[in-house]
Amino acid sequence: MVWQFLLAAAIGAIAYVDRTAAFQLMLHRPLVVATAMGAVFGNVAAGAQVGAVLELLYLARLPVGASIPPDDTGAAMFGGAAAAVASSSVGLDAGSFTALLLLSVPCAEMGKAADRLIRRVNGRIAALTIESVERGDSQAVEHGLLAGLILFALSGMVLALAFSGLGLATGKLLLPRFGPESKAQFAVLLPLFPLIGAASVFSCTRTDRTAPAFYLTMGMVFAATLFFRWAG
Amino acid sequence: MGGLTQAVRRKVWWRQFLFQGCWNYEGMQNVGFAYSILPALRHHYRERPEDLIRALKRHLEYFNTHPAMGGVILGATARMEERVASGEVDPRAIGTFKVGLMGSLGAIGDSYFWGALKPMASVAGAILSLLHPVLGIAALLVLYNLSHVSVRLKGFAAGMEGEESAVRFLKGAGFTVRTEDRKILAAILGGAYAGVLGSKTAFLFGGAAPAVAFFLVALITVHLLTVLFRKAVSPSEILLFLLIIGTMFLWR
Repeated sequence: MVWQFLLAAAIGAIAYVDRTAAFQLMLHRPLVVATAMGAVFGNVAAGAQVGAVLELLYLARLPVGASIPPDDTGAAMFGGAAAAVASSSVGLDAGSFTALLLLSVPCAEMGKAADRLIRRVNGRIAALTIESVERGDSQAVEHGLLAGLILFALSGMVLALAFSGLGLATGKLLLPRFGPESKAQFAVLLPLFPLIGAASVFSCTRTDRTAPAFYLTMGMVFAATLFFRWAG
Repeated sequence: MGGLTQAVRRKVWWRQFLFQGCWNYEGMQNVGFAYSILPALRHHYRERPEDLIRALKRHLEYFNTHPAMGGVILGATARMEERVASGEVDPRAIGTFKVGLMGSLGAIGDSYFWGALKPMASVAGAILSLLHPVLGIAALLVLYNLSHVSVRLKGFAAGMEGEESAVRFLKGAGFTVRTEDRKILAAILGGAYAGVLGSKTAFLFGGAAPAVAFFLVALITVHLLTVLFRKAVSPSEILLFLLIIGTMFLWR
């Protein structure tokens, strides 16, 4: 278990640094992070299943200017870890899947608050950097940037440990308490998630030309795949 | 003075990936920009420490643009600093140039990278992960980074040729057309994603009439959600609302 948490912390550091501070190679996307967390905690497929849904949910919020979108990386850490321990040999049941997706929302908001705090602390680092440069120390810029990077990485590790710990507790302790009837009722909400994801994609890509493309494709693919399901 | 050596150029290029390393509300990417251009400044002002500090202070002023588009400004600014160091250009021109370009490049970058390329790569990844997780992740990373790293490479190289070359690059790159194309692709893939997963649920109802009814409900739901998202309602708010409804199911 210690090794698993150490790995989770390393993934957290990489993902949170990639999210804002450096590279932006999309290693922080929920599909990548939830799959990685699933692998660390013993079930890659369950992690990927959660990650694929979370990947699209928050796309509607763009990180433009000073606005900070919900922390979908943190939501994926929670969801991936919880899914890995909650899934059985036949996979994750629909009720538990729905519950994990919904319970990841507070994590996304907590991560957003942490991100805001880090950027405030960075303000102090930047002010100290400027003061040092004014005193003639050009190396202060390198030290300031390194301090900012370390802050992002450390907070990533702490958030990863917190979210994966919460995920494990949810998957092992909370979800087994719900009976099959409760889970079946909860699962009623599951079909809404792909629709929220699709709407999220569509809302940030919507133009006069994309609207017909979106709705026509949705209709045609729906009809075609339904036909094949009936035929097969 | 002289132009930058290959080693210094490489250093500056790599450092652009850390533009947001010390992102803060006051100066935003100011420390990141100063860090990125520092090797070039050390080269240009290698025997003039006071000028080096003056130049560094210029770059610690407020700066904010899209991180992937910053390479163009960084390259062109490094080139301008070379001319400032040799006395050809007034140092104030650098601030005017950066301020003039950062806003428009930020808007272009936000629209292209966050509003078109990322949704396209994400939805392609989500669809392909239904076949295999690794396939989905590979699609997401390759689709996004091919364009991302290419813009950083070409933008920086164009900037290093001078301001005119940077502007030529921005015109020639055709970001408006590329944004529109990626948005259409993302919309098509988003529609396909909703169609595939919607039919999975509709199949459980059995029969054509319930399936058609489900499709219409799904269509209206997506449309309503899109309207809400465009009115600045956060997905988190909708999901929290669903969490409350779900909790009520559990407590019944």
